[in-house]
Amino acid sequence: MPSPDLEKFRIAIDAHRAKLADACAAVRDAAGLEELRNRYLSRKRGFVTLLFEDLKKFEAADKPAAGQLLNLLKTEIQEKLAALEESLRTPAAGGPGVDLTLPGERLTWGAAHPLRIFQREIESIFQEMGFGIEDGPEIETDYYNFEALNFPPNHPARDDWDTLYINDNLLLRTHTSPVQIRIMEKHKPPIRIIIPGKVYRRETPDPTHAAMFFQVEGLVVDRNVTFAHLKGTLEYFLKRLFGDKLKTRFRPSFFPFTEPSAEVDIECLACGQKDPACRVCGGTGWKEILGSGMVDPQVFKNVNIDPEQYSGWAFGLGVERTAMFAYGIPDIRYFYENDLRFTRQFHLK
Amino acid sequence: MKISLNWLREYVDIEMPRNELLDRLTMIGLICEKWTETPDGDTVFDIETYANRPDTLGHLGIAREISAMTGFPLKERIHPVVELPIPTSEIVEVQVLDEDLCPRYTGFVVKGVKIGPSPENLRKKIEAMGLKPINNVVDASNAVLFATGQPIHMFDLEKVAGPRVVVRRAKKGEALRTLDGKNAALGPDMLVIADEKRPVAVAGVIGGEESGITEATRDVFIESAVFDPASIRRTRKALEIQTDACYRFERGADIGFAPEAAAMAASLLCSFGGRVSKGLVDIYPKPRKAKELVLRSLRTADLLGVAVPDAFIEKTLVALGFSVKPSAQGSWRVLVPSFRVDIEREADLIEEIARFFGYDRIPAVVASLGILDPVASDRLQIGRLSQQFFHFGFDEVVNASFADPDKETVLGTGRRPVTLRNPFSVHAAILRTTLLGGLLVNLRHNQNHGTEAVHIFEIGEVFSWADESRHVEELTLGLLSAGPLGLPQWSRPPAAANFHHLKGSLESALGALRYAMLVYEPAEHPSFEEGSALAVLYKGERIGIMGRVRDAICETYGAAGPAFAVEIALGVLLEKKAGTFAYEPSPKVPAVVRDLSFFVARDVSYQDIKSAVERAAVKFLESFDVIDRYAGPNNPPGQTSLSMRFVYRNPQATLLAEEADKSEQKILKTLKAAFKIELRKGGGA
Ligand SMILES: [Zn+2]
Repeated sequence: MPSPDLEKFRIAIDAHRAKLADACAAVRDAAGLEELRNRYLSRKRGFVTLLFEDLKKFEAADKPAAGQLLNLLKTEIQEKLAALEESLRTPAAGGPGVDLTLPGERLTWGAAHPLRIFQREIESIFQEMGFGIEDGPEIETDYYNFEALNFPPNHPARDDWDTLYINDNLLLRTHTSPVQIRIMEKHKPPIRIIIPGKVYRRETPDPTHAAMFFQVEGLVVDRNVTFAHLKGTLEYFLKRLFGDKLKTRFRPSFFPFTEPSAEVDIECLACGQKDPACRVCGGTGWKEILGSGMVDPQVFKNVNIDPEQYSGWAFGLGVERTAMFAYGIPDIRYFYENDLRFTRQFHLK
Repeated sequence: MKISLNWLREYVDIEMPRNELLDRLTMIGLICEKWTETPDGDTVFDIETYANRPDTLGHLGIAREISAMTGFPLKERIHPVVELPIPTSEIVEVQVLDEDLCPRYTGFVVKGVKIGPSPENLRKKIEAMGLKPINNVVDASNAVLFATGQPIHMFDLEKVAGPRVVVRRAKKGEALRTLDGKNAALGPDMLVIADEKRPVAVAGVIGGEESGITEATRDVFIESAVFDPASIRRTRKALEIQTDACYRFERGADIGFAPEAAAMAASLLCSFGGRVSKGLVDIYPKPRKAKELVLRSLRTADLLGVAVPDAFIEKTLVALGFSVKPSAQGSWRVLVPSFRVDIEREADLIEEIARFFGYDRIPAVVASLGILDPVASDRLQIGRLSQQFFHFGFDEVVNASFADPDKETVLGTGRRPVTLRNPFSVHAAILRTTLLGGLLVNLRHNQNHGTEAVHIFEIGEVFSWADESRHVEELTLGLLSAGPLGLPQWSRPPAAANFHHLKGSLESALGALRYAMLVYEPAEHPSFEEGSALAVLYKGERIGIMGRVRDAICETYGAAGPAFAVEIALGVLLEKKAGTFAYEPSPKVPAVVRDLSFFVARDVSYQDIKSAVERAAVKFLESFDVIDRYAGPNNPPGQTSLSMRFVYRNPQATLLAEEADKSEQKILKTLKAAFKIELRKGGGA
């Protein structure tokens, strides 16, 4: 049999409960909600707080039951207030009083780094042509980085590849070409791969130089591979990258690991080959975009491939340089600042 | 290499407009992007040259290329002199003691030279090369170098004791005050030119001050020699000197041309009143035979993909100075001129043919290609992982592999860093042993540029020494999260970066690769606040660490915390076998969902509860998770309140309430026994 005190308490609680729905319905905004919250739950003068004070007056036998009643009410009020808060924030579609012209929620997602985007774009063109993708270590030996690639020790050709050394034998690879050697040592032709990756040079960073940058190299080794294939494949690749109408130019150059060697220029997209004062192409109308050539017979000998049976071609291109040219990015260092205002733009590409 | 058009015309006729000349030079591999026009109507080109083509480091060599390109022959060169009746060897004694480093040494003496300003024509040449004319003898020496690529050295004969000229290795402790006013300490691996007593020049690199040409010089010893390229390179590196002479010697001087260069210099000096000694001193103990190569017409076509006419091949090679004799059917025996040190194989000859035939005339052919190996699977996994992180709002970053040793120490990875011997900056003197440093630099940069929400990840290598002789490169995944998770909204404020958001992102992303769930254990790490870090384990192996970055470390990097970070040895993980994918039919029978709310001692970790439930192997239990947690003052002291949701299902038949009850009781029993949990009022069961 509940004591009369307890019964009175129950009635008081029910009365509060009954008013709760109306009180909630009257709330129109966050200020109203806050006011209501205070009315019930304020630590000093909230109704519920005061009712907890009343609890102290109960006989020991009634205390648990009264406490349970009050806790239930408190939970109920908290839930109602939470629901109310939620409804104030996310108005039901088309519900009354909602400004439908308020902006939709701004959702965010992460973006790939621009260098990865360009790298993947290049990779996918070659993958469609049936090239595999390979990689290799960034710390290399002198043998793989230079000697196997036909750079004799003490040869001035090494000066063009300013090298960061760890010790007499170990260095940071200056190009991804050592991977060519590693692959040719392991696999017999036919070989058709590209090698994307980080490479290193001893450069003081400035708008056009970085001590680390990305390169994509390619290598084809098979019977009857000719310079004409090199031209055809690279021309196709560059057109896929820059557009069908792109003009390309192959001109002689020198790399120790290819013979004959060719530098590939593409028409200057900044001035359309028309501005003698163009800052992008220096008025020449052309922009150097990649280096290439037929694999040097000495390189083949170094990996025990018979240059009389097989021939091959290789190319290398700097990812940053290419991206800078394609999008008019003035400073290579932007790629490594990782300013999200910069990097996030490129997923729209 | 600076090339004067007027000077070129002394060697070959050039009859085309400048732009056409530049275009055609480009197409034979001689690129010129800069040129200047001098007031007196000359044009000076700045032509790029290659390390293997020392023959193009003079006007004569460039003229030879133009001659082969245009068909205009090289002009005849004459070097008139006024001769003394005295043989050179009677005036000066020349000895080569180390012929391995000096395969050829030639010289003349010119007596009675009147030192003075150079004549107009010579001055202009020197100025065109960007140098200041000094006097006629010094200018003549430079003129021969720039004309022919062959460095010449002129000694004041009266300052050469003996006079004897000895080509030998330096003796230990010898030194020389060089023309640039520095004292060069010489070593036994350096070749010097010495007189009777001491060195007077560092061979092929730089002359000595004392034996140099002065206003008082009357008699000159002209040296025209060839030195070993590697030795020159080592010496000039050791002495930290770069001169026009050593630049050419280290690329390989023309051993056949030394006498003509000496004659050319003598002729110039005779025009300044000098008279030249009779007969060249020419010490050339092992005359080199011209290299002979076989060139096959068919091989040329095979490599280039186009048939170049035989007549064109012959004509081009002859114009370039090769001697060409038809040999067996469809091939030639080709003798290589001494100035072409780069031509050693048939492929080198084929390049010459291609250069002059024109790369633009070689067709562009896309070969039809057979099927080869597919892509390595690591790349696919990395791609999928990245996609997950993009989805969770993490931006990819790429940082340089270099680290600042001082800052890296603070991060305390315990790895022995790989140090660069010749770093480009002291702040980039080691290779990174962790990705965290780079991520913190990115955090600072973005915070300084108004971006508060920085949730980034990087996949890249970290480097260290595994032991004294073995270095390792480890593919690593790093994430860093700081600031609000999302953009400000009018409808609700975004949450702030926190440990469990980062943890969840990592777990979900790795889950997408079908790796088994990660396990954690509390860890302490210099990078992370005390009590805030967990070691990440995969099947018992420690593969990473995550936690709240120490505020002091954020400060070191100039960034503002709180920042949460994780680093995972991704390469180690990718070597593990991921689970295989298998299709599972969606259940056709409904599940029974039951919640349990209970108090549990605060020091019991969820991971412990989870493994206890898993170990209990509860029948019909399909999945479970924690859905609420309360650790506030309303709990009994030392207790946390947890609500967990359990999903029960019998895939074969609709689960009965009693069956679910039985399973639920088993869970309760397990948890009570293991952790003395106490069900909350109305907490279920
Ligand atoms: Zn342009």
